Formats: sequence, C-alpha cells, structure tokens
Amino acid sequence: MQPVAWVPGMGSIRGESDCSPMVSARNPEGMAIDRSDRPRESDMHLECRHIEFFYPGSPKPVLRDLCMCLATPGFHALFGPSGVGKTSLAKLLTGGYTAASGDIVSDGVDTVLYSHNQERLPGWSSVGRHLERITPDRHAALKEILTAKFELAPYLNQRFDQLSLGQQNRINLLRYLVQDFQVLIMDESLANVDEQTRSRIVLTMKQAFPEVIFLYISHNVVEVAKFCSDIWVLRDAHKTPQVMKIQGQDFKDPQSTDLPSLEKTMLEMINAA
Amino acid sequence: MLPRRIFQFFLIYCLAVAMLAAIKYGLGLSDYVIPGPQLLWKTLQSELGRYLKDAADTMTVAVVGQLLSILLAFAVGIFGRRTTWLGSFIKVAAYNVQAYPIVAIAPIIFILLGDGFFSRLLIAAMICYFPLLLSVLGIMSEPIGDIEHFYRQTGRMRWQLEVKIRAFENMHKLTTVVAGSSTLAMAGTIVAEFIAANAGIGYSIRVALYQSDLAKILVALFIIGITLSIYQGILELCGGLAKRGWVGRVAA
Amino acid sequence: MKHSTDTLLLAIAFVVWIVAGLWAQNAAASDAAVTYRLKWLKNMSTVGDLFALRQGYFRERGLDVTIKPGGPERDAIRELELGYAQFGVASADQVIRALAKGAPVIVVAQLFQVNPLQWIYRRDRISVETLTDLKGKTLGVTFGKNDEIIMRTLLARAQISDAQVRLYSVRLDYTPFFKGVVDLWPVYINTQGVEIGGRLASSGEPVGYFNPDDHGVRFVANSVVTSQDMAVRHPDIVRNFVQALLKGWRQALRIDNGSLAVEAVRQYDRDSALHVLQEQLQATRSIVQPTPRSVIGAIDHTAWQETENIMLQHRQIAKPVTVIKYLRADMVR
Repeated sequence: MQPVAWVPGMGSIRGESDCSPMVSARNPEGMAIDRSDRPRESDMHLECRHIEFFYPGSPKPVLRDLCMCLATPGFHALFGPSGVGKTSLAKLLTGGYTAASGDIVSDGVDTVLYSHNQERLPGWSSVGRHLERITPDRHAALKEILTAKFELAPYLNQRFDQLSLGQQNRINLLRYLVQDFQVLIMDESLANVDEQTRSRIVLTMKQAFPEVIFLYISHNVVEVAKFCSDIWVLRDAHKTPQVMKIQGQDFKDPQSTDLPSLEKTMLEMINAA
Repeated sequence: MLPRRIFQFFLIYCLAVAMLAAIKYGLGLSDYVIPGPQLLWKTLQSELGRYLKDAADTMTVAVVGQLLSILLAFAVGIFGRRTTWLGSFIKVAAYNVQAYPIVAIAPIIFILLGDGFFSRLLIAAMICYFPLLLSVLGIMSEPIGDIEHFYRQTGRMRWQLEVKIRAFENMHKLTTVVAGSSTLAMAGTIVAEFIAANAGIGYSIRVALYQSDLAKILVALFIIGITLSIYQGILELCGGLAKRGWVGRVAA
Repeated sequence: MKHSTDTLLLAIAFVVWIVAGLWAQNAAASDAAVTYRLKWLKNMSTVGDLFALRQGYFRERGLDVTIKPGGPERDAIRELELGYAQFGVASADQVIRALAKGAPVIVVAQLFQVNPLQWIYRRDRISVETLTDLKGKTLGVTFGKNDEIIMRTLLARAQISDAQVRLYSVRLDYTPFFKGVVDLWPVYINTQGVEIGGRLASSGEPVGYFNPDDHGVRFVANSVVTSQDMAVRHPDIVRNFVQALLKGWRQALRIDNGSLAVEAVRQYDRDSALHVLQEQLQATRSIVQPTPRSVIGAIDHTAWQETENIMLQHRQIAKPVTVIKYLRADMVR
C-alpha cells in the first residue's frame, strides 16, 4: 500500500465527524498509513518475564515477579493507582531502567518510544520548524494529516512556550507519531487535552496506526475502558499477580453507546486495581 | 538598562564622595588627606583625558582576556562535561584552582614575561577563566531531561545538540556569569597593573598613590566605574541580542 | 520609605563613628606615647631612629615611642593629620605637595644632608660622565616619585627630550636591570646601591653611580616632620623627641658604635648579610654627615627652596608654597 497523502478534493476536514474514515481513491476501505515494511500482528511482541524492580535505596520491590506480554497491535492501556510503578514499568520497557531480575524479551520490535506530558520542544525555533526537522521525508504527508487532525496548523509559527498546555501535549505527541516505531508508550501524554479532543486524537491514532502497539498510561477509567483494547491493570507489589489483563471496549466509533459493556469493563478495572 | 546602570553607579559614587566630604569637614582635614569638591573637579578636568585613555587600555586587556577565557572555558567545559575520569579531573581542578588568588602570582608573571600587554592579558584571562569554567561545567553537565528525552529516544542526540540545548536553556545563567566575569577581569587587570605593570588605569592609580594624590585616585575610580558600567551594559545588550537572534522572530 | 530612612540613618551613624574614632586618635597624642612613622622599611636608612629606640634615648626624655615601618601605601604626613602618628619621615617633595594642599605639617629636622638617590649603571657597558651621556639610554624611573622629577630635571638641564631617551617604569624587582634591559637604575646609595653594586661587583661587573648632586640638582630627601598642632599644643614633646632622635643618629654613626648600630638594624633586617650592613652603615654616614663639621639634622634652606623651584617648574604644584616658612629647626634648639 502506498502512503496516503492528503489531496485537495478528499474532503474538508472541518465539519466532518471527528473520526470519519479518510478515504482515498486507492483505498476505499479506509485509511491506513502504509507500514508494509513493518511486522504483522503475529510477528512482534514485547514481553516482561518475572520482572523485579526496586527504586534506588529502597528494600521493597516496586515490581515483583511481573509478567506481561504486548503482542497485538492496537491501543492498549496500562492502568493503576498513583505510585504503583506504571512509569517505572514503562521505562523498563524502553530500556531506561534495568530490572533487578527477570527479562524483557522482544521480537520484531526495533523501536520502543516513550513519551510523557512534561516534555518540551527546544525554544529556539517555532514548533512547525521543529516538526519539519524531525520528520523523516517519508512521513511528511502523515505529518500534514496529523497536524490537521490535531488542530495544530494555526500554531505552527509559534514557539513551544507560547502554546497552551493542551497544544503542547498535542504537538509533543505528534512528533512521536511521525517517527518510526513499533511500540509507543504514552505516559499521560494527553493529560492537559480536553476530553473531546482527546477522544478524537485517540480514534485518529487507532485508525492511522493499525499495526503498531500503543500503551496508554492513564488514570481515566472511562477513557481507558472505552478506547483501549488490552487493559493491563498494575497493582501493588504485594498482590499476585501484580498485573492483570482486562479486555477493554476498544471503541473505534465515537458514536458507540454500549454502556452496559463499558460499565462492566470499568468495574472490572476498579476491582482489579 | 544601561542608563539605569550608570545612574546607579553615579548615585553610589556621589554617596561615597559625600561621606568622605562629611569626614573631611567634620574633622577639618586638609585637601591632602581628603580632597575637597573644588580640587576633585580640577583634577577631573586635568586628568580626564589621560585616565580615559588608561581605562580604555585596561578595558581592552580585560575584554580580550575575558573573551579568551570565555572561549577556553566553553571549550574545556563542553569537553569536561562528560562523566569520564578526565571530565571529573577537570571539574575538581577547576574548583580548587578558582579558589586560589591568581592576582598574587601577577608579580611572577611580570618578572618572567615582562611588563607588556601579554602579561596583563594572561592575568586578566586567568582571573576570570576558572569561575567561568566552573559555571560552564555545571551547566553543561546538567541534563535538560524534558527536552533531551525526545532526541535520545529517537537516536537523534549529538554532542552539538546537547550543548545547544543546555546552553539555550541556561542562557540567563550564562549571560549572568559572563557579565560577572567582566567585573572580575577588569578588577583583576587593574590589580595586576597596580602591582607590577607599566600601563593602564591600575598603574595610574599606583602613580597617584606614590604622590599621595587621593583626588587622582578618586577620579580614576570614577572613570573605572563608568567604564565598567558601560561595558556591563553592552554585555547585557549583546546577551539579549544573542538570545533574540537565536530564538528568531516568531509570530506571537 | 522606611528602608530608605534606615539606610540614611546607618550612613550617618557610620560617618559619626569614623569621626569619633579619628578624634579619639588625635586625643591620644596628648600623652607621652607617640608613634613615629618611617618612610620605608626598617633598614640602614633608619639606623639612627632604631638606635635611639634601642638605647632608650626616648625613654630618658619621658617618651614612649613606637616606630612603624613605612611603605608605598603609607604616608606619614597623612597619618599626622589623621592622628595615627605624631612624627614621621617624609621627603621634601612629599612635604611640598602636602603644603600645597593645605596639610598642616612642619619640618623639624633634615636627616639626609645628601640625597641618597642615585642611578647605578655598569661601567663596562656605558659611560655616564656628563648629562649628555644620558642620550639614547634606557633610564629607570619610578613614575610619580621623586626620582622621576629628578631625572626630568636633569634631562631638561641637558636639553634632552623624552624622545631621545627611553624612560622605563621601575618596580621593586631589579630583573630588568640585571638582564640589561635598563641602563641606569635608581637606587638608594646607602641601601640598595650597596646590595646591587656588591652583587654585580662580585660577578666581575664594575658599577658606577650617577649622582644628580654632581650635576647641580639638589633635591632634599628624608626629613622628620610633625603636625602644626603638635608644635602648638606639645612643643616640649616635639623638642624632646627630636633631640632624642638626633642623639640616636649621632651615636649610631660614631665609628666606635658601628657594631651596636648594625645590631640595631639587624633585628629588623634579617635578609642582609653582616658585611652588607656594615657597608651600608658606612654609606649612610656619608649622606647624614657628609663632613665631620656637618650638623646632623640641620635643615638646608637653600636645598629646600631649590626643591620647591624644581617642583614648580615641573608643575608638581600649581603655585609656590614658600616651604621655608615651615622649616622649624628652632623647635629643637
């Protein structure tokens, strides 16, 4: 499949539903950004095997005998109460931390990226200029599409510190999305974005990146239950197992209204935590 | 900023002269001990041209010395920011040497290298080099995680980018330390000239001291203060221009 | 507002404190304890002062004298006015400059009848017999001090312009002279002259001394000064002090007191070898008492007037001060 470029005549983005499928003449079934060189569903996984991790100087483990496996492309979540070790686990997965024991095994995963909402862009150029410089040429079209979808086009001439917190979150996430990766961990990356925009962004990502694994770290029960596929609930280290997997609703349509199922998932999440 | 700086110096100088005048008239001291306003004014008129030239001479040495030390401090600081054994050695050495009174070795430098421009330049550079180096080392060793994280994640980090990020984020600290080192350079050059040189405003002060001419010394101090205020004002301006030029003009 | 008032009050308190301290200093002089500030370090140029102290001549006259060394940052005349010292040593140019600025100072004795300031040179490299021999030479001078004035007077008399010589700024280290960068180096003949001359002579380099007095330039050197206030309020202390001091000089320069005199200096000057001190004592005799008939401490009015004329000529003072009005040898008769 060839990468899809936004071309005039495709349809104005403004006024359409938030996540109408981006149809191109060459792909009437729906847009998918070509990642044909990437492994398919069964070709990649990222697995934690009996991971144990301590904070420096602490005798008590934060993560104890933790096992989990990310093998299915899609929008997944890592959920749990504050301080349980979600960020630590994320950093272990990216190689930022080293586990005291256990293994992290990957196959077909070249790049695991980790983004968080405290990040900043350099202040010496506009955000648009920064995007241009860090976007590989082959993803230029994707960048344009996402810029439009994230409603950032009017702000590209501004510096990062001139943006609102929500805009900052969006631009930061966007620059990760135009990189090459198989796994993207988003640690509260959209924490300052309003709910409506957040929903639109998540649905866009699900549509645009069907073949990568997103691991969404969030405290928002409703959002996680609604949009995520596999929900990894991380619990305190003294509980066994420390992580439990719950099936999320994985909504792809903003109009989805299966409320009973949603409530059920939310209850499961809360009980598991 | 510059007019305010000069005004502040004027105020402090006039206060100091007023205090001296109070002591003079309070104790009935002659012009030989504390010069009166008339003598001060006459001395200012007669020595202004010469002392301005001397101050410019000293300023040239101080500025060139400071520039050299800035370049060297940045080069060594950037190189020494790593946590290698060499980087640690540079940090410890800089910390210990900067506590040493460099100006005390000025006579030795003058004996070995003579009276000329180069000796004064060396002392000026040495005096402001070590504090500058410490500041640059501190700035360059401290990661800016919020910004560097993306580049490290995506494999884009290079040492040049790392330096650029840390320098930009600490621009205010850097301009402050550079402005502060200008005072160091000027003071150090003056003291070195006072001890052992044959040119510059420090030397002129020494000559005035031999003549017990406090009026000349006060005039020299006045000119030093004005020169330094102007220089620091220019440095601040340059720092602001550099930042604006770096950031560029982006639409609000 | 309150902050500004506090600052102002603090400044006023500081000034009052300074004034009170200085007034207290002045008040202390009324006792028999006096401070005598020298012009330079305690060396052979101060042998009479140190001898007087060591032999108890001041105590005999009811005076408790503290002798303090001088230096480039010390000015005896300023200290007299501020009350830090009651007596001091100053050269004629210092006295005349001070008088020109209204300092209330008087001269009560002239220690050096001959100015010890001369220029040392290597006889095997240059010859300086007449003033015109100075042309083309590198001349060491201490800018701002009396050697600069003396040298400029000599050059003016020989009608040599600045462009025809090279004036080299002199500091305390002699390296430029030893290296041969400077042809003539100013020394005090009775102290540095002996030391440097001896060092060069011992390495086979004969030296000569260029004496301004030989070419008609008489510039008075070390003299004893006190304040007009002391002369008015404590004339007896002034008389007793100067008489004790001159007795010290007379005794120190006696041939049979040579070893005692050297010892008096040696307790302060530990760096100079014994034979050097002995030579320095001999040289000091020749400038304090040039002839057996010379009166130690006598004030040479003609030389003082000439010094004032030279300073006027070189615009060191704006107008005459009539220095001879302030020469008070009568105080010690």
